Amino acid sequence: MAAHEILAATNAVVTLDVALPGIVWPWLVTVNMWAKSIGTGVIFMLFMLLRMHPESAKNLRLTTALVAFVFINIFLLFTLADLHQPFRMWHIFVYPHWSSAIAVGSFMASMFLGLLTLLSFLAFKKNDVLFDKVLLWTTVLAIPVTLYTASLMAQSTARELWQMPAESAQMILAALLAGSAAMILLGGNKLSNEARNTLGVVLGLSALMAFIIYMSEYIFGPMKAEEIAATIAYIKGDGPYAVMFWIGQWMTFILPMLFIVLSRVSKSDAILKLAAILALVGLAIVKHVWLMIPQLLPMS
Amino acid sequence: MQLGFLVDLHLCMGCKGCEIACKVENEVPLSTWRLRVKYVDVGTFPETKRTFTPLRCNHCENAPCERICPVSALHYLENGIVNIDKERCIGCAGCVMACPYGAIYIDPQTQTADKCTYCAHRVASSMMPACVVACPVQANIFGDLEDPTSNISKYIQVHQGGVQVRKPEKGTNPHHYYVGGGNVTLNPLASHRVDGHSLFNNITTLPVGGHH
Repeated sequence: MAAHEILAATNAVVTLDVALPGIVWPWLVTVNMWAKSIGTGVIFMLFMLLRMHPESAKNLRLTTALVAFVFINIFLLFTLADLHQPFRMWHIFVYPHWSSAIAVGSFMASMFLGLLTLLSFLAFKKNDVLFDKVLLWTTVLAIPVTLYTASLMAQSTARELWQMPAESAQMILAALLAGSAAMILLGGNKLSNEARNTLGVVLGLSALMAFIIYMSEYIFGPMKAEEIAATIAYIKGDGPYAVMFWIGQWMTFILPMLFIVLSRVSKSDAILKLAAILALVGLAIVKHVWLMIPQLLPMS
Repeated sequence: MQLGFLVDLHLCMGCKGCEIACKVENEVPLSTWRLRVKYVDVGTFPETKRTFTPLRCNHCENAPCERICPVSALHYLENGIVNIDKERCIGCAGCVMACPYGAIYIDPQTQTADKCTYCAHRVASSMMPACVVACPVQANIFGDLEDPTSNISKYIQVHQGGVQVRKPEKGTNPHHYYVGGGNVTLNPLASHRVDGHSLFNNITTLPVGGHH
């Protein structure tokens, strides 16, 4: 149990209180964030590949649009499932409160899904010219769709760990990491070596930057605020999420970075794919730990 | 008008009368609380002391729950009360995540957010909140903060430097004040919370909203 800054002289102990609420946002929200990272990330990657390696990426339009469509639907489904009153979801569109990241995000995600549906249709009809025009606006919209969860976490005033702009950076990096990893797996033999290398660089650099931010928060966060120190204690030492935190860091960031270097040296596609799989699975673990630990802290 | 609350912790004796009155008045379901009194023991035997802290919604001027609510289910009344419209709430629990005071819960019966409303329905009928009426030592002082002649304003004037709010660093500007508080009573991180060893129960956490 977190017990920070308790003076030995006071020896203060809670002797009678109500049971505190358990986890408020459970694993459903983890899946929400994970699926959204993939759904927006593959759009970023398709946009990049069509400009840098058009020959290699031209056959990925339909597959990418469908994958993004599926994962954004998973994201919306789990968002809905997490509501305690899911049949009132329509209230957001009728009574929107524009100061809320949830309301703004719901509108943007709905528009994004509409554009993905259009992209899938255009790709199916092989209308590449119009597809690429719509893709530009879809990519632009993917940025705030990715970021709004960070805004939501920042609006959670009670959870000191989730600070802006660190969460924004982590959301974008998660989308780049998940998008590049998913494209490495999706592209298969359709991708040229150069295109695979580019995706490997995006995966490796986003893993490196995200890892640096997590480590910065891990080391320096506790020096800034009492609540962050108490929260980080859950992933330090024998904290309940310490093992899961480090499994996530190794799977998502450290091992993929090493494997990407190894794959470039040995020109091994299999090692690159292994890095991509580890990053995708690990991202869910990393997100889950970061979602859970602030919720363990007693608020009152 | 800006309604506010003040609790004089020097007077509170932990009888939990306010807690029960609130439960009855607002039909608060089992396993949830709009208002609770927390006991924290301080010191080492035989030099020990028991402190009592009533905890409820702070009706903040800059309420994070109101800001994060996507459907304005949480909203300000003209008298400053942060009220909730349970019919509009979609149960996203954003407010539960946003409230730095842990004052909002998911009602297991309606599956919507709920919290202390300073008994807005009673206030609308010119009655005092149920907890104020129930308190045997008048530790709960309720009134208009903008009226210098109200009891709460006078109390604040008399006690000046001794008036505190919980977590001022959050910038929420609570309209709920304490006199006689300290780090141990107002900061949840300043006391040990030993899992499963409270006086009368060993349940430490409850599922949010019942079986969600």
